[in-house]
Amino acid sequence: MRHARIIYKGEELAIDIDADNKITTDAGAALDLPVDSDEITWLPPVKEPGTIFALGINYADHATELAFEPPKEPLIFIKHANTLTGHKQVSYRPDNIDYQHYECELVAVIGKSGKHIKREDALDYVAGYTVCNDFAIRDYLENYYRPNLRVKSRDSLLPMGPWIVDTADIPDANALKLTTTVNGKVTQEGSTKDMIFNVPFVIEYLSKVMTLNPGDMICTGTPHGIVDCQPGDTIVCTIEDICALETRMVSEQEYYGDKY
Amino acid sequence: MSAPILVNSKLICVALNDSDQLKKMAATFNEKPYVKPPTQPVLYYKPRNTWSAAEAEIEWATDFNSGKPAAEMVVGASLGVVICKETCRVTPEEALSYVGGYTIVADYSLPEKTYFRPDIKGKCLDGSAPVGPEIVPASEVSNPDALTVTISINGEAKDSFPLCRMEHDVATLVSIISNIMTLQKGEVIAVGFTGDRISVKPGDAVSASIAGVGTLNNTLGGAV
Repeated sequence: MRHARIIYKGEELAIDIDADNKITTDAGAALDLPVDSDEITWLPPVKEPGTIFALGINYADHATELAFEPPKEPLIFIKHANTLTGHKQVSYRPDNIDYQHYECELVAVIGKSGKHIKREDALDYVAGYTVCNDFAIRDYLENYYRPNLRVKSRDSLLPMGPWIVDTADIPDANALKLTTTVNGKVTQEGSTKDMIFNVPFVIEYLSKVMTLNPGDMICTGTPHGIVDCQPGDTIVCTIEDICALETRMVSEQEYYGDKY
Repeated sequence: MSAPILVNSKLICVALNDSDQLKKMAATFNEKPYVKPPTQPVLYYKPRNTWSAAEAEIEWATDFNSGKPAAEMVVGASLGVVICKETCRVTPEEALSYVGGYTIVADYSLPEKTYFRPDIKGKCLDGSAPVGPEIVPASEVSNPDALTVTISINGEAKDSFPLCRMEHDVATLVSIISNIMTLQKGEVIAVGFTGDRISVKPGDAVSASIAGVGTLNNTLGGAV
């Protein structure tokens, strides 16, 4: 089963989507709509987002691409809900920068509180998986708590969704093809099998330090194949058997409107 | 019994905002891995599992590798700036009108050995960020940059940080941060800590005080 949050006819709804693409609201009503209907506005799929953990350089080939040694322990940084937006929404490119790239990533959504969780029990704490695009702006990188908040905590730069797939429906989250296209052209192809630190490892690692809670998310990093994105570009991040996340880039002025 | 959690949705801390510390570390910051001094405020989050309150006992950290009690913990204290309405891309001149009140934030952690990577192991300990004891209305604080944050341990004064020593003042920080991310009502910015964090021991009673804002008291738990 898949789970999403949408706005339909002005109403915010939590929905389930079954294997035949039939949509049911959490009130039990059938919603007779195709899942790709333009009448659906997709919200970020986690209703009450908690702490968002994101991994840097967690694919060996991406580490090489960025001229780094693959890490010996996970590089994890924190993001918050201000960065989230949904499927088919917009993300912005700041003015006067040279290099902003997407990062197509598998996301594990925590469904149960826990601390000191063993690797072998870790998936019991995962409600499901979704896809995110953890945009980065390389111009803003500085070597202090890198990747710093100026790079990774900006509004709208973590599109996520469209839905969460139950953990039970994904027998092996580390055998999934990952693809990104920009304006229809394939720019990134990889597999979650090349992840250095997988979800159970990261859950064990984090929960040695802190309690994980429902609504927390773990974004697991991106493989080789990043390119610069410009306003007007449409980026689609797809992970096999999970979902395809579409984002349109806009300028800073278009995004902020009156607040620009 | 502990007071309620005063933070809503986000607790942002500013590191390396003590100009004395920046001067002292200037040579280090020109070396690897830093290469050059920070050009922007250095920010980190204390995530929701860390939020705690006045009078709460602070759990003693566990060593990541051995599972035994951590050898050392430190504390820093900051003025906590409480946002009172949605704050998006504000200027320094208007920034303080988005501040509803002030409180005290203590940050218990492992020692700050490096500022290069986000310090998940050191900074994300459960209950390590008490905030309180209350939120004093902004109208009662005429100039937040003129305040002084003191720390005493078991009644003995250990540190005094006059906020005029901050590299970036309160209004500048609210402005810069609001140009990175939209802030919401109830979110808290811990604007600056003294450069040398204070070492603590199991059982220590720690008081962080700001005249006119209050005193935040917490006790370190015993090593388990």
